Amino acid sequence: MDYSELDKVRRRTTPLQLDVVDSFVNGRLSRREFIQRGTMIGLSMASVSAIIAACGGTTTSSAPAASGKTGGRIRAAVQRPVSVDPVAMQDLGGYGITAQSFEFLTTQNTIGDPGGLAPGLATEWSPNADGTVWTFKLRQGAKWQHDGSPFTSADVVATMERLVAAGNSGLKGVLDKGGAVATDANTVTFTLVGANGNFPYLVSIYNAQTLITPADYVAGTKFNDRPTGTGAWKLVKYDQASGATFDRNPDWWGGKTPLDGTEWIFFDATGPMITAYQGGQVDAIVQFDVLTGASLLDDANFSLIATPAALHRQIWMRCDTGQFAKKEVRQALALSFDRPALITQLFKGRAELGNDHVIWQGYPYFDASIPQRVQDIDKAKSLLSAAGVTNLTADLHVGQLQEIPDLAALLKSQAAQAGITLNPVVESLDTFYGAQWCPAEPADPPCSGASELGVVDYGHRATPDVYLNAALKSKGIWNSSQYSSPEFDAAFTQFQAAVGVDAQKAACTKIETILNEDVPVGLPYFYNYLAGNSNKFTGVFSSALGQMSFSQTSQV
Amino acid sequence: MARFISRRLLLSLLTLWLLATIVFIIANVLPNDVGRTILGPFAPQESVDALNERLGTNRPLFVRYAESIGGIITLNFGKSFVSGQPVLPTLIDAIIRSAKLAGLALLITIPVAISAGLYAARRRDRPVDRGIVLLGVTSSSIPEFITGTILVVVVGVQLKLLPVLATPPPDADIPTQIRYLLMPATAMAIVYFGYIARMTRAGTIDVLQSDYTRTAAMKGLTTTQTMRHHVLRNALIPTVAVIAVQIGYLFGGIIAVEKIFNYNGMGQTMLFAAQRKDLPMLTAGVLIIGIVYMIATLIADMTIAWMNPRIRLDAGR
Repeated sequence: MDYSELDKVRRRTTPLQLDVVDSFVNGRLSRREFIQRGTMIGLSMASVSAIIAACGGTTTSSAPAASGKTGGRIRAAVQRPVSVDPVAMQDLGGYGITAQSFEFLTTQNTIGDPGGLAPGLATEWSPNADGTVWTFKLRQGAKWQHDGSPFTSADVVATMERLVAAGNSGLKGVLDKGGAVATDANTVTFTLVGANGNFPYLVSIYNAQTLITPADYVAGTKFNDRPTGTGAWKLVKYDQASGATFDRNPDWWGGKTPLDGTEWIFFDATGPMITAYQGGQVDAIVQFDVLTGASLLDDANFSLIATPAALHRQIWMRCDTGQFAKKEVRQALALSFDRPALITQLFKGRAELGNDHVIWQGYPYFDASIPQRVQDIDKAKSLLSAAGVTNLTADLHVGQLQEIPDLAALLKSQAAQAGITLNPVVESLDTFYGAQWCPAEPADPPCSGASELGVVDYGHRATPDVYLNAALKSKGIWNSSQYSSPEFDAAFTQFQAAVGVDAQKAACTKIETILNEDVPVGLPYFYNYLAGNSNKFTGVFSSALGQMSFSQTSQV
Repeated sequence: MARFISRRLLLSLLTLWLLATIVFIIANVLPNDVGRTILGPFAPQESVDALNERLGTNRPLFVRYAESIGGIITLNFGKSFVSGQPVLPTLIDAIIRSAKLAGLALLITIPVAISAGLYAARRRDRPVDRGIVLLGVTSSSIPEFITGTILVVVVGVQLKLLPVLATPPPDADIPTQIRYLLMPATAMAIVYFGYIARMTRAGTIDVLQSDYTRTAAMKGLTTTQTMRHHVLRNALIPTVAVIAVQIGYLFGGIIAVEKIFNYNGMGQTMLFAAQRKDLPMLTAGVLIIGIVYMIATLIADMTIAWMNPRIRLDAGR
């Protein structure tokens, strides 16, 4: 341990940052957790690296840095965008296209272990002592592509006002109108509704609509109608039927990109993306699933980017009424899951074990000490017997989406071992969401018309707040299991208010324990976000939200 | 002939009105929540309500019906619920793309299939006839998505002879466009070869057995003269009718082929509109496909009337 180096960094940190540094030094945070947590609360990568080095470690690059030839273009396959309105877009296609030109305050950390934050249009950020006020120092020298005017704090403030007015799901309840104030041309102060230790994530690449747009941008404007941005690429052509073309932005603050430009080809299904890659018509795929793209997993010419993510499926069980109202019955069903088999058969191993709670292993506050639930048929049978349940038979409602129908079939065979008969009912997504998962009526409490058992999909979130608040909190808007636990609600409130690492971990331990015990939802796995590119290119980075970065990409 | 065309046009207008009404009923009367479908299951209810208000989907049914019919009359189909862009330019682009694909498919199919049908009919019950019939039955029995997938894997992925995507670069010249469209057009042509060849064969055999053909042969006309002046005109009448129906079908979009080759023609556009409850796009699209059907059948009827004076005279009465 090099204490002199350590002290140099410690002297420059705020109390919250100091808490994270000390947690790492004292072994309460792993190296990966430290990078994620440290970058989020505003420690620069230089400081993070210095502390890791002082403690005897090193940071490594997760992908090879661009070292190939300059020039050329890469062709990326992306799902056809529904909307490229940066404020209102809701689909991965829109996220991927807009993020080529517009940038975030904080972005994906591509140095060291993934998951942390790196400077984007903000170079530094730090909270006050209780995490209610965050100050962001902005990058100087960034220019808008449309007129060359400088990027300033006025752009950030106006963007935040648009997002708050639009009810951005990440900022709702966190930032109110007028909460973002320009302290000077290069500093913005965010005064939050309450303490929030995760705020930098909410204005990052992980909240896809928080792309910074010019101060005079009007909500509802499509990117292709007013192409601009501060980023590495300039939109030169956009055709909803075929795709988009970007050229290098020569004025990008990040310097000259190795590639001359990028081509984005729009697709309506994953299958043609795969054949287009195999036929040599695309070089990169922004997202694909294991079942459709199995051939790519073993393709020696394909550089797979398998990003561990919080993507998961929840098997909800009604806790208030019906056959699953007793906790023992829910536990019995969860005990019938052969999770490793599900991961092998559905994802060819590209997933992580779930433990019937929504705290993903990648979150820095995940507590690994909660025992992993494993298949135990005898225990499942004894629980059912203790609950006085025999011949349990239930419809398992699922939507026609990716691997979910196959998951239902596997669950059926696994549950049968415990004497539980599941009848998978596969429906169109419209019918499934509207009639089984969360029918609009009765409206109070929300989702009280849900079926007693079903499987619903959840996308990646940088923090688990949405899962906890919407799906599990009493009267949550997506609470299809109708779970209501004062103990859980209190733990969630404690998590939201927690700012320091120890406090967040303590809250998460409670949350994991309660959910694992009560099992309002079975959660067998968190699966990887899959993307990739031809190995003729290097330096491609992918988020788990449809954004693919080519600013460091070059031809081998 | 003018009277014949006028009557057909009037009938077409009535059919279009009926079509528009049926589409409106299906799209609006069946239970659905347009805002929820567009914004997705996870959107807050307030946003859904606001979107429904903005789109006007919560207004009385008759108001929306009047607006829909008014839009058709003035050719103002409004804006897409999903993209916010005017519907008509989007659909015109899509129909042009479908026309290119359908046109190439027909260009490949019609000469080959008619020639094969005529050739088989003149060699009835010989091995070559049986071979063509077998080929026709087989090709029309294999769905386009099977043929398309095989072509993609073999010609596109393995041999890399043709692009696996049908959408050419935006500024592509005509030879390049044909190169991109060749595989999907071939997949469609294989299926329609069977229909058209068999129909031509059956029509030709029927005419070859007729009294007037025998008379023509007996009065000393050569086989070529008999075929050209007496057989072809009559034998191809059912074939023309089949081709007209197929044109409408092809323009309407072969969704499977468009999906396999990632081609954003009418099929994909309409499928997307239906999935997203994009009612203006859906209504206008169905009407445009209906118009194409009607134009195709009208042209076919006129062609048939030109080919066979009896039909012309019947229509004139």
